[in-house]
Amino acid sequence: MLHYREGMNMLLNTDVIIIGGGSTGCGIARDLALRGIPHCLIERYDFASGATGACHGLLHSGGRYVVNDPEAAAECISENMILRKIGEKCVEPTGGLFVRLPGDSKRYRDNFLRRCAATGIPTEVLSPSRALDLVPNLNPSLEEAITVPDCSIDPFRLCMLNVTSSEKRGGEILTHHQIIEIIKEHGRCVGVKAQEQTTGDIKEIRGKVIINAGGAWSDRIATLAGNKVRLSLSKGSLIIANHRLTNMVLNRLRPASDGDLLVPNEAVCLSGTTSLTVENPDDLEVYPSEVDMLAREATAMVPEFGTTRLIRTYAGVRPLLSADTDDGREISRGFRIIDHRDGMLSIVGGKLTTYRLMAEKMTDTVMDIFGLKTQCTTAEVPLEGQEELSGYPLSKRLKDISDIICECELVNRHDVERVAQKVGTRHIGDIQHRTRLGMGPCQGGFCTYRALGIMQETGKMTPQESTRILKEFLQRRFKGIKPALWGDQLREEQLVESIYLGILAMEQEQ
Amino acid sequence: MNRTTYDAVILGGGMSGLMAALALIGKGKRVAVVSKGDPVCCLSTGCIDVLLHENNPLAGIDSLPENHPYRLVGEETIAASLEMFTEIMGETQFPYRGDTGTNRTILTPMGTKKITCLVPETMEFADCHPDEYIHIISFNNIKDFYPSYITSRYQNSGRSTFNTEVASTAAIAERFEEEAFRGEFIAWLKGQDIPDGKIALPAVLGTRTTGKIYDEISQELARPIFEIPTLPPSMPGLRLFRTLKNTFLGMGGSIYWGRDISSVEKLGAQLEALTLSNQGRATRVQGKAFVLATGSFVSGGLYAAMDSIEERVFGLPVHIPEEREHWFKDNFFTTGHAIERAGIEVDSSFRPIDSPYENLFACGSILAFSEVMKYGCGHGMAVATGFAAAQKCEEYIQ
Repeated sequence: MLHYREGMNMLLNTDVIIIGGGSTGCGIARDLALRGIPHCLIERYDFASGATGACHGLLHSGGRYVVNDPEAAAECISENMILRKIGEKCVEPTGGLFVRLPGDSKRYRDNFLRRCAATGIPTEVLSPSRALDLVPNLNPSLEEAITVPDCSIDPFRLCMLNVTSSEKRGGEILTHHQIIEIIKEHGRCVGVKAQEQTTGDIKEIRGKVIINAGGAWSDRIATLAGNKVRLSLSKGSLIIANHRLTNMVLNRLRPASDGDLLVPNEAVCLSGTTSLTVENPDDLEVYPSEVDMLAREATAMVPEFGTTRLIRTYAGVRPLLSADTDDGREISRGFRIIDHRDGMLSIVGGKLTTYRLMAEKMTDTVMDIFGLKTQCTTAEVPLEGQEELSGYPLSKRLKDISDIICECELVNRHDVERVAQKVGTRHIGDIQHRTRLGMGPCQGGFCTYRALGIMQETGKMTPQESTRILKEFLQRRFKGIKPALWGDQLREEQLVESIYLGILAMEQEQ
Repeated sequence: MNRTTYDAVILGGGMSGLMAALALIGKGKRVAVVSKGDPVCCLSTGCIDVLLHENNPLAGIDSLPENHPYRLVGEETIAASLEMFTEIMGETQFPYRGDTGTNRTILTPMGTKKITCLVPETMEFADCHPDEYIHIISFNNIKDFYPSYITSRYQNSGRSTFNTEVASTAAIAERFEEEAFRGEFIAWLKGQDIPDGKIALPAVLGTRTTGKIYDEISQELARPIFEIPTLPPSMPGLRLFRTLKNTFLGMGGSIYWGRDISSVEKLGAQLEALTLSNQGRATRVQGKAFVLATGSFVSGGLYAAMDSIEERVFGLPVHIPEEREHWFKDNFFTTGHAIERAGIEVDSSFRPIDSPYENLFACGSILAFSEVMKYGCGHGMAVATGFAAAQKCEEYIQ
């Protein structure tokens, strides 16, 4: 561990600098740690702040890609089997169904089954009644359903658990640090300057190799070193419904298109996605037309979705390998490692499901550079730190029911205080990701005020800071809800508005 | 099936419905209130916001848009309605303070100041000046109250924490109803070394005998004490609702609680009766006149579908202020979202426009153009329109 005085510019030497705390960056940190390579991971916000945290939380079986991109599908099924083994506390083996509705092509279905068999994705064809037995909310007029080993995965937890291995072995983790400069000497990258977002303190980190795992932002990072990463940015929007309407992942059995996916996640379920090319990954907006379309498509598979309250919309950016086509879906979901030949390596493309494989290949590349031979063990060693997690059973959480701060996700005061005490916790998001506070039906409408109150009472932040964060949070929350405001959600939103503007008078102040 | 006939049947047991019910029963009418459940005023601060307008809320009525419900009521009637409200509450354990011609502020749990007009007695001293000392009392483990939000804004302040086993405001309020608990609390408070000034605590001073509890603590401590309204469930909101409801019952009013309206009977241009259902048991409630006070979206009087807005009981025409994508502005911290203008348009006698019933009146937040958040007229608008609609309803019954 590093020790330094507050406000002092500090210098840190390491071997490998990883830029980006998404699943890829965190996976690389774990792999380097297990192979004994000193490293430092630098993330602009919190872990999983980019595409990782804004994805649908699906651990692919490969079924979605098997017809168009069998190679990616093969990677998916192999990684799927590995992750459910090493990460049982962040993977929920729900199983998945590909649902064929009236009018969906029978030829695609035959092709799908043939390709799954060839790729090693286990399937079983179910009659409508057997499918309804598994997922009672399914559209009863379905033609048939095909099982696949899809899972639901918690991307925040996944990142956190990967980082745990790194922290245990002395890896340096700097969240809320923005890279402001990549230091080059004699044409080679030798380090970075990173600025702490809240204090403005600048740290200089020196390393032998710099890994750019910046996802949608990797071209910007590469540019700091005078390099280029050709990316195609594809926005995917999702909507969250208030209930867990299905216990299995549901895919539409047809060529990949908008709104063909429904994923259960704890108490809620997500419908996605869309695919729109964007220029700026920092400025994402979900359009009401996307919300309407996603709700319509989800309702086709699960009619109940149409009358269920939508609690939030969000969008992420897929950093796809660039190709000369306008449709993000046509671009390979594969990944690539780019050696800029100046000490910087970029890793682009890929997907959450294959994050571990990407990390393995990247770490292999680093080992080659260092001339070391230690083999990768990330596929065999279970993720560390899982024993501290409650896991999914509700029964375990109910045991600790007293003093609940977040009623939707049953997070108690002790959980919030414990996370608040941890080094690096500065933002409400840090607590949300680590405890699931505010992730349920009310989306933090009630508990955020409480969590920030606890943080300031424990001296973790000043009341001014917590008020500022509360305002930022409410604004961000509102942005996510606004495109889907009708029905019961509109009702809930007006209640939240009356609390923060009416009772707490947070508007009169401005 | 039960059969009962009333002079007036009020649909909705919130602020405006209960005010209409009280106004009518005060005139000797036979009145029934039909409600689906506890109203949203239970979630409020309990304060009566009249209008955000400089210092004198009533003086601002004329500058409101012409179609605002307050304009239909008129300044004089608004003042009369608030007077009636204050009189009713004055007879109970929950008297109100304030002057309808003057706005005042109360302290919020964020340490901000909320502008309002009439306040529960327990908030009489909540108008704080930066130079006076405020001592904040909290309770360990309380979920919805964090004194540092306030002490950080008031340099001249201090705090003490009283230990209770219970964490919710409702549970603490219940304990304050116990004499032994109060004794213990007062003894502890006297033992604290508190500089001269005011003492503030979250709104937990009982639910039934608040007046007595407040007097006792104020006298023992011999200094100004005030409550700070907390997040829902809010004790002052709950007290307000229960008091109005109990007063109505005490005057001989009938209440059908927890009922859904399952059918509506029409005779010519008259609304004849409602059938209420409660777990399979049907009740027919007949009335000479009816008052629709089912509230806006939060209360469920209005419902927004993806591209339309419905009035839930009669399917009355609703004023829809624009297309869905323009219902809300981008900034959460602004009021005046277009959706706030949605609701039922009424004529000068508070009858819904284009209504098939000549004996149906409407009041409260279901009214179009009320924009309660923008104009800061929560509860004030309900009290005034409830009172005014009752007057028109009474004229009609005669």
